[in-house]
Amino acid sequence: MKHKDVIVHLISEVSRYILEGDPGKMVISLHREADGIHLCVLDDRARSEGEMEAVARSLNASSRPELAGYYGTMAGHDLLGQARLNLVGWQIKHAEVERTPEGGAMLNLWIGGEAFDDSKFTMPKGKNGSG
Amino acid sequence: MATIDRSLYRIVGLTILAFLVFGLMAEGPGPALAGFLRLQTAPSRLLTDFAAVAGPGAAMFNAGVVGSLGLFYLRLHKIRLSGPTLAAVFIMAGFGLFGKTLLNCIPILLGVELAAKVAGKPPSGYVLIGMFGTSLGPMVSFLAFETGLPPFAAFALSIAGGIAAGLLLPALGIAMLHLHQGYVLYNIGLTAGFLALFAAGIIEAAGGKLPLSWELYEGHDVFMTWLVPALAAGLIIAAYALGKGKTLRDFLAVQKLSGRLPSDFIELVSLPGTLLNMGVVGLIGYVYVRAIGGTVSGPILGALITMMGFAAFGKTVRNILPVMAGALIATLVFGMDPASADALMIILFCTGLAPLAGEFGPGVGMVAGFLHFVMADRTALWHGGMALYNNGFAAGLTAALIVAVIEWYRSSRID
Repeated sequence: MKHKDVIVHLISEVSRYILEGDPGKMVISLHREADGIHLCVLDDRARSEGEMEAVARSLNASSRPELAGYYGTMAGHDLLGQARLNLVGWQIKHAEVERTPEGGAMLNLWIGGEAFDDSKFTMPKGKNGSG
Repeated sequence: MATIDRSLYRIVGLTILAFLVFGLMAEGPGPALAGFLRLQTAPSRLLTDFAAVAGPGAAMFNAGVVGSLGLFYLRLHKIRLSGPTLAAVFIMAGFGLFGKTLLNCIPILLGVELAAKVAGKPPSGYVLIGMFGTSLGPMVSFLAFETGLPPFAAFALSIAGGIAAGLLLPALGIAMLHLHQGYVLYNIGLTAGFLALFAAGIIEAAGGKLPLSWELYEGHDVFMTWLVPALAAGLIIAAYALGKGKTLRDFLAVQKLSGRLPSDFIELVSLPGTLLNMGVVGLIGYVYVRAIGGTVSGPILGALITMMGFAAFGKTVRNILPVMAGALIATLVFGMDPASADALMIILFCTGLAPLAGEFGPGVGMVAGFLHFVMADRTALWHGGMALYNNGFAAGLTAALIVAVIEWYRSSRID
């Protein structure tokens, strides 16, 4: 798997966010294609609309190449203080945040490089490129 | 977003223009330009106030040119202006008053570009590392003008040395981030200081000498003295003009942020709130310097400009005051004159530790400021003054100590 260390750190940061809410359940799943990954993380903790929007905004932070390549390396690595989803948002193609039937949140992240082919994933059309 | 970008380019452009115009007006264009040329080949290790070497006009003009280089570098890589890039341009301009020149910055930027190629990354990913990495400019100047080698060999050595430093900066800079976990704003200060230890070691092992100098402008140039209040006033006016009645609310929202890296206040809150924060933080530093009886020399002006830049990227009124208080207490405890240039620089630059106060409270901030004082006075000797962000180096070491203790304590207490 390409760039597995990057993926490990992104999973770590998102997991930290989920675990900060003290959930009863957390599920992580990963679907891999040639040059892309669909990562899904869900839990069972209820959130307000405001919180859901804040998470979506952080994960869909606009493309910041000058920050992603440098400060983005802190994602999933420096664990003092609160989780920072914008560190993840700078490094992914797109994110969708929705409620699960049990009332928790499902975070869908699409991660990939230059050759990322969004037709191979369930990503909403026209969302490739982050932000 | 396009409106914010345009506004920021106007603000940064006017700031750089102020440096250039004030520079030409301070002593007249002729002396300013002649002095500017002289600075390109002058030694520039700590502490060399360019205003003392070539006059305040030449120093301010050089600062404007170095700031322009930073802005050009951003445009070249199509990076938009924001909190971190504002901080980068301001620190380049600020240190253009005491250490950075076009000649000693460019090889380092080239080295960082090369590092991006080696790593297979787009150069835009390392733009900030390159801009902050120009802290090692004095090392390039030393190799070019102080080794005693024939000119061609010295020039080649300085270019090679600058490129080598730039090549190593990304790897070290990323590693150093993890040492303090973003709780010191001058990460490249820590990185450059660390790298300069090795450079100084090699130079001294080869028989070179690196005595520290202390060359400080002791005049009272009206342009240098009033640049910061003028800039702060401009930022505050711009903040209210752009804020549509929400400026104060957004400014207060900025105060709630810890400032931990990377806190782009413009993205996290708004441009008007950030501009007001920049103006107020600049005024706090300036009023402190004047109230304590200090002189606005090149390094002090550079420190104030740096504070203002980082007030878009980590420093707030709430988080700088405890660390400044801690450093001030240390100057009094250890009997240093708080109005001396040395003490003033430590107190102004220790604000790089502001995120510690922002996250963990004023008590931790004061301890950080106190410890920073005792470190900053020693670290310049270790690297021979070749890393301009000496306070950044000291702050990084201080933050690493404090963060390690806090992290150990918290993890030990988890069930």
